[in-house]
Amino acid sequence: MFRIIRETNIDFIGHRRKAFVFSTLLILLGLAAFVMIMLNKANMGIDFAGGTMLQGNFETAINIADLRDAITSNGFPEASIQELERHEVENSYIIRVKETVAGEMKAVDRLREIIEERFSGNKFTRDSEHTIGPAVGESLKKSARWAILISVLGMILYIGLRFDFRSGVAATIATFHDVLAVLGIFFLLDKEITLLVVTALLTLAGYSLTDTVVVYDRIRENLKKFRKKGEFVTTVNNSVNEVLSRTIMTSLTSLLVAATIFFFGGEVLHDFALAMILGIIIGTYSSVFVASPIVVEWEAHAPKRFK
Amino acid sequence: MKNQTWRFVITGILIVLGLVGFWNTLKLWTLTEDDKARMEELKPGSVNELERKAMRLGLDLQGGIHVVLRVEMEKLDEGARSEAVERAIQVIRNRVDFTGVTEPNIQKQGDDRIIVDLPGYTDAERAEDLIGQTAQLEFKLMETYDNATLLMGKLDSVLAEIKKAEKGDAETDSPAETADEKAVTGDISQLPEADSAADDDDILADLLGEDSAGFLEEGLFDSEDNPLTQYLETSLYSSKSRTPWPGYYVLAKDRKRIEQMLNKPEVQALISDDLQFAWSTRASVRNAQEIYMLYILKNKVQFLGKFLENIHLGRGQFQEHTVDFRLTGQGAAAFARLTGSNIDKPLAIVIDGKVESAPIINSKIRNDGQITMGSGANMDDAKDLEIVLKAGALPAPVEIIEKNVVGPTLGSDSIRKGLVSSLVGLLLVIILIGIYYRVSGVIADIALMFNIFFLLAIMAGLHATLTMPGIAGIILTVGISVDSNILIFERIREELRTGKTVRASIDAGYSRALLTIIDSHVTTLITAGALFLFGSGAIKGFAVSLFWGVTISLYTAVVITKTIFDIRKGYKTLSI
Repeated sequence: MFRIIRETNIDFIGHRRKAFVFSTLLILLGLAAFVMIMLNKANMGIDFAGGTMLQGNFETAINIADLRDAITSNGFPEASIQELERHEVENSYIIRVKETVAGEMKAVDRLREIIEERFSGNKFTRDSEHTIGPAVGESLKKSARWAILISVLGMILYIGLRFDFRSGVAATIATFHDVLAVLGIFFLLDKEITLLVVTALLTLAGYSLTDTVVVYDRIRENLKKFRKKGEFVTTVNNSVNEVLSRTIMTSLTSLLVAATIFFFGGEVLHDFALAMILGIIIGTYSSVFVASPIVVEWEAHAPKRFK
Repeated sequence: MKNQTWRFVITGILIVLGLVGFWNTLKLWTLTEDDKARMEELKPGSVNELERKAMRLGLDLQGGIHVVLRVEMEKLDEGARSEAVERAIQVIRNRVDFTGVTEPNIQKQGDDRIIVDLPGYTDAERAEDLIGQTAQLEFKLMETYDNATLLMGKLDSVLAEIKKAEKGDAETDSPAETADEKAVTGDISQLPEADSAADDDDILADLLGEDSAGFLEEGLFDSEDNPLTQYLETSLYSSKSRTPWPGYYVLAKDRKRIEQMLNKPEVQALISDDLQFAWSTRASVRNAQEIYMLYILKNKVQFLGKFLENIHLGRGQFQEHTVDFRLTGQGAAAFARLTGSNIDKPLAIVIDGKVESAPIINSKIRNDGQITMGSGANMDDAKDLEIVLKAGALPAPVEIIEKNVVGPTLGSDSIRKGLVSSLVGLLLVIILIGIYYRVSGVIADIALMFNIFFLLAIMAGLHATLTMPGIAGIILTVGISVDSNILIFERIREELRTGKTVRASIDAGYSRALLTIIDSHVTTLITAGALFLFGSGAIKGFAVSLFWGVTISLYTAVVITKTIFDIRKGYKTLSI
């Protein structure tokens, strides 16, 4: 038998206070990001905020500062310009602006005009363009809200049916913790919140919940077995230790696939993969250090046998 | 015993079904461009047929245009609203069919939106025109030159006044005085200058190839007095009667300036309700400079495009592109009346408020007519006009609220990246699981490959659309599928450690892990369902592949691996 982890007996629950402090910080960061999104102050992708994206490549190398200057000084002061690294075609850039029109022209046409003026003689080829009117952004926001609401309610409902009230609440908290943490980190990194990032957040919510459910299943099973002998805290700690090798193996394989998307999946999936990677790491941490300790704390303050 | 046989039978049936579902897609994917050309030669349309049967590729993978339109309901009467979107879809579908896009997808979204997907079509500007044009074709007459000149004179003086007033504000001049002065000079200077431009300069300029537009610009006229007309040069006149008509050349770079002037409320107040200013549909080149035409039209619609029949492309007397048509019955009579009584006058062909061209009527036209395209027009422009006229007018104006254009190179780049990342991810996981769980791991790897095979087969069979996020969904499925086996194997290891026999450990491992596996699948399915319901386009692709991948993994990771374990029943050792 080839094993990374021998039988462990780590006192995870004993470290819960430290973990709570760390997690509270993560949650606060996430909540701050959430408030900023609500106040429309976060870096929302054009799919939510409306705007124009233009991706293309230059025939010969240019200086990104020149491009940025040309665009910001010609009516798009808030433009974001990004060079595509690891891209098949050299000198590829993505330009994002909040506008969809520029005077009488469409913003995308104006952008191409500006580029042609500044870099005349250096052919600019469009690879892709995307214009989203504010009305579409609004309806996408609405859809995203519904998708989040339905999946969160569905998960809570399922957990409520499968487990008791306390673990349902604890699992929900752990899941929100993970999603908020990733959202917060994205906010700190000034990453754009796009539809794909929201998709990743929802996916990792499912992933994190799975992790928590695996631990809870084991706790429940062990509580039945050791009803008379064991202490509650010890049982929980043992359960976490027992499933630890699974937790690590699964995280490892999931990380492998998320990392390959991150490195080889191209620009479109880059942030999606980043969210997944962060989510897998934080989700693993939270299933060990957040989900179970909450149940322990609850039991300590209001004793009631874990079902 | 029985149980085992059934599992084989079901798996066998699934494999066959999978092969059937996947067959066309596999065939298409393995064809080279040469093969396709040969196929097309043997049986025209067969490649298209195959593409229709195979798994669809999303716009992000094969390139194309995605447009979301909003039908402007508020511009319609109550009664016309209910059917407007359906009729608009019908018209757009007709127009798109003429372009020859193989698998267009046109559907209604919500109450007033239409989604148009044109895979493989990347001429954004053309598509936009084609889809969005309301295509009201109208024939209109022009204001007489004298009246137009008078009007222009008035506009000039009003604009000069405004300009002076603005300046006056800055220099604290007396506005009353300047206004008087301007009103006089404006009137006097206007008439002769326009006449001369029409009669002599233009011909001269044409003969000598002189840059008359440039000469206008250099300010022969006092620009203070003629803020508007200094940018205009009369271009349209009937050679027979040598009468000028109010069609003007405007340098493309001046167009915006003139629009601003014309939009001023003071100017608008002077333009009577039965007149309108209209631009040419597109720019053309004159004396090496890009120009637009500005026309002063009489608002009254003389004739509507809907009477046109037998529309086809043609060539005019100077080999310019034309769209020819035929008129019958009522339409023919009306058109004959219209052209008969307006010989030697221009008839503006107006499409969606823009003037396509304004040819002078030479003679009475009864049955066969011709729309002469403007001088800047090429074959595509003529063809688009033909399509638009044939397919009919949109029942309501539409507004493009989202447009996504993906170039073909970007699409193929995405495919390559999707393929590379899937294969690398899959390979790494297979190696990791194989090393860590030995023979059992290899069994899990086999199940994993079944999972991916079935997933692709179902998606191909359902003609689901594969998108870039969809590929991510497939790769993530690998993680979830493997998780089931990890749960089972870790459980079996634990059972073995307690001293159980191999047989008992395997059975216990499967039965104890099953509930947890179902739990983890349900939570993922909830997410996939929510994303499918509310996601759009690419996100839906992600939801679809995640949903099927997870559902299938419940079978492959549990049933197929157990079946393989059960083949050898009596074994004492287990490589795990």
